[in-house]
Amino acid sequence: MRRISIMLILFICGFSLLFAGGEKESISGVKTIRIAEQVPGLITPGVWDGQAFSMNSSIYEYLIEIDSNSGELVPLLAKSWGTDDGTNWTFNLREGVKFHDGSAFNSEDVKYTIERTLDPSIGHLKRPDFEIVDYVEIVDEYTITVHLKEARPTFDYQFTDYNMAILSSSYDYDTFGESKPMGTGPYKMVQYIPKESAVLEKNRDYWDTSVAPIERLLIYFIADIDASVSMLEDDRVDVVPFVTPAIRKRLESFENVTVISPYQEQRFIAMRADKAPFDDNNVRLAFKYAMDPHIISRSVAQSELGKDTNYNETPIMNMLVEYKERPLRERDIHKAKELLTKAGYPNGVTVDLYYSSDHPFETDLAQTLKELSAPAGFVLNLKGYTRDIFLSQYWLNVPMSITGWGGRPDPSMLLALAFKTGGSWNETHMSDSYVDNLIEKISNEVDFEKRLSYYHDLQDYFYENGALINFQVPLYIAINNRVINYSHPLSMIPQYKYMDIK
Amino acid sequence: MSNIIEIILKRVGTLFATLLIMSFIIFILVEIMPGDVAQMILGQSATEESLAALREVKGLNEPLLTRYWKWISQAVQGDLGESLYMKGVAINSILWRRVGHSLVLAATAFLIFVPLSIFFGVLAGVREKKFSDSLISFFGLATMALPEFVSGILLITVFAVKLDVLPIVSVIPIGETLWQNLNILILPALSITFVMFGYVSRMQRSSVINVMNSDYIRSAILKGMSKRYVIFRHALKNALLPTITIIGMNMGWLFGGLVVVETLFGYPGMGSLLMTAIRTRDLPLIQACVLLITVIYSLSTMITDILYNYLNPLIRFEGEGV
Repeated sequence: MRRISIMLILFICGFSLLFAGGEKESISGVKTIRIAEQVPGLITPGVWDGQAFSMNSSIYEYLIEIDSNSGELVPLLAKSWGTDDGTNWTFNLREGVKFHDGSAFNSEDVKYTIERTLDPSIGHLKRPDFEIVDYVEIVDEYTITVHLKEARPTFDYQFTDYNMAILSSSYDYDTFGESKPMGTGPYKMVQYIPKESAVLEKNRDYWDTSVAPIERLLIYFIADIDASVSMLEDDRVDVVPFVTPAIRKRLESFENVTVISPYQEQRFIAMRADKAPFDDNNVRLAFKYAMDPHIISRSVAQSELGKDTNYNETPIMNMLVEYKERPLRERDIHKAKELLTKAGYPNGVTVDLYYSSDHPFETDLAQTLKELSAPAGFVLNLKGYTRDIFLSQYWLNVPMSITGWGGRPDPSMLLALAFKTGGSWNETHMSDSYVDNLIEKISNEVDFEKRLSYYHDLQDYFYENGALINFQVPLYIAINNRVINYSHPLSMIPQYKYMDIK
Repeated sequence: MSNIIEIILKRVGTLFATLLIMSFIIFILVEIMPGDVAQMILGQSATEESLAALREVKGLNEPLLTRYWKWISQAVQGDLGESLYMKGVAINSILWRRVGHSLVLAATAFLIFVPLSIFFGVLAGVREKKFSDSLISFFGLATMALPEFVSGILLITVFAVKLDVLPIVSVIPIGETLWQNLNILILPALSITFVMFGYVSRMQRSSVINVMNSDYIRSAILKGMSKRYVIFRHALKNALLPTITIIGMNMGWLFGGLVVVETLFGYPGMGSLLMTAIRTRDLPLIQACVLLITVIYSLSTMITDILYNYLNPLIRFEGEGV
């Protein structure tokens, strides 16, 4: 027995020795940022809904980008651009830009990229926004004019969308787009282990030599957010996007980690306005009076309202210049009950609330709405499904829903699709000629002041009659303090070329 | 011996039949799983048109049986198809690397828990109702009751956070190999050991107790043989039989059921790959992973069965006049 015991102890010791040492990752003196992405893939621009932003946004590039500090449009592959009355848009393209395969960038590539949005076989997500394009004219090798069917004074914002990366007209994206991506961006992909990791290296031929001080981006695909955060705590990665409020709290005690919120996203609480009970504005108002935005913020985002979150009853985000400031509606349960009675629901009303249970903030928001609205007489049946099931089977056909919407730097991009009669994403099913008319004016008006007044009129209308509550939640990104100049505008495209390490 | 060959042939035949039926069931189950890969990729901005276009491109509009036939006939030839989520990426290029990692983790866990469990199981068995027996039984029960994610977090807290002697996650640093980072295996392997130790040691304990109470052992002791000699020369051989069965039955789980452990530790094995595939509704990848797990389960069960038959003299010598 003693011999066996000794052998066992020797075995365990030997085993431990075998595995000892070599704990930390070696970073061989090359300036590197390590990122833990949760989504494991790479999708060709066009059908891209936020997958691995760090990778796509570094490999590809856009005509125009958004300054993350000022929110203004900044030239990128387009040196300059302009329009006469919003109908014809001329872009002067940058010369001397090369794709990663060595081919030169020119007007053909921009024409190809725009026309690709209209190809029905691709199912491009920007097709609804680009159907207004009449034709694309190549003026010369580095000048292109986009002719629209009608005026769109903010059409240039469309080119900042993450799906509008400029692609090479001579590259086979159908075959290689998801395994060997190729653009003009500041970083090239040099190694890719699908669903595991990717290595991007600085593009030595990049046209702007003043940016991209980082030599390498190492991207890990880690499905579990807790494992990603553990890597951050253990100094194995530098950036972890999409952390939750609970993780943000946990990371507060870590001296070398900061959680930032570069922008907010929207959670629309949509009430279906063409069917009972929300077809009666009194019911919609009753629900709004039952809400307490401060409680919602604390409960859902663990943050005070106005700090990382915002709340209003319109489709316009509080942070945008188009937003019209107005006092929050005071919670008034008595009034909410009165309104419900007036609408014919003296004993309260039962409604099914649908949401994506795996989308950040939505489950907590649904639970909070249920509890806040209960004293007024609302009985919310919570129907949470995974996002793909919610979107494919329920969304747009339910009495009440919570949906996540990215921020649009130009809010008109969303209005026509989500709030105009017949809009393809009109989840509230609002159909109001006054609203339609205002959205039309917003889309066409060249004069900014006039456009702003239409925006204000629209928000006034929504406050009194709208079928929407817009709760804005933070995008939290945890970064190691060594990373400086973290840049991530509302277009959702992280700009790693501006980042550096101490 | 001819009896054993007959058993092996029967088992192999059953294995193929099982796999064929299972492949169809797996295919159907994965296909009817709620969710939509096209919607998953395109998200909320998807239009009916873009969804239809993507489904067409991904071949999701073809009839079910056509897709099953394509899948199984390619799988038999070793081609597991392409990932739905990443066009142009062959499943073979993703899967086998992960399978290798999972095998290494399973082997590491096996090397830790098998000797430990057998040793302490035997110890508890021969010291029945003594303090060491109670202590081992209590520890076995406690670890068995702890789910992997709880024991995993405990291990992380103690060894990675408090003592800082092992890495907090089991991710292979980019540019390095698993062999350069073998220490990342320890915590997940210990986490698996926690689960397995209880099962195996308790089985070993009761088996030793049974054998020790049998007539031939009593006779050996009465003949004057030392207790140690009796245990190791006579009792252990027979007492190991049920334990081998339990270990063999769990080999399938050890390989394919590591989803929780691999995900918790961020270990790039097949379990975490399966998890990612389910999250992204990558149907061919899910099917490939589940089929492989089924093969491992079936194979390990078959090998256990054959081994049991071989080790059990009653069966081994049946038909040879003994």
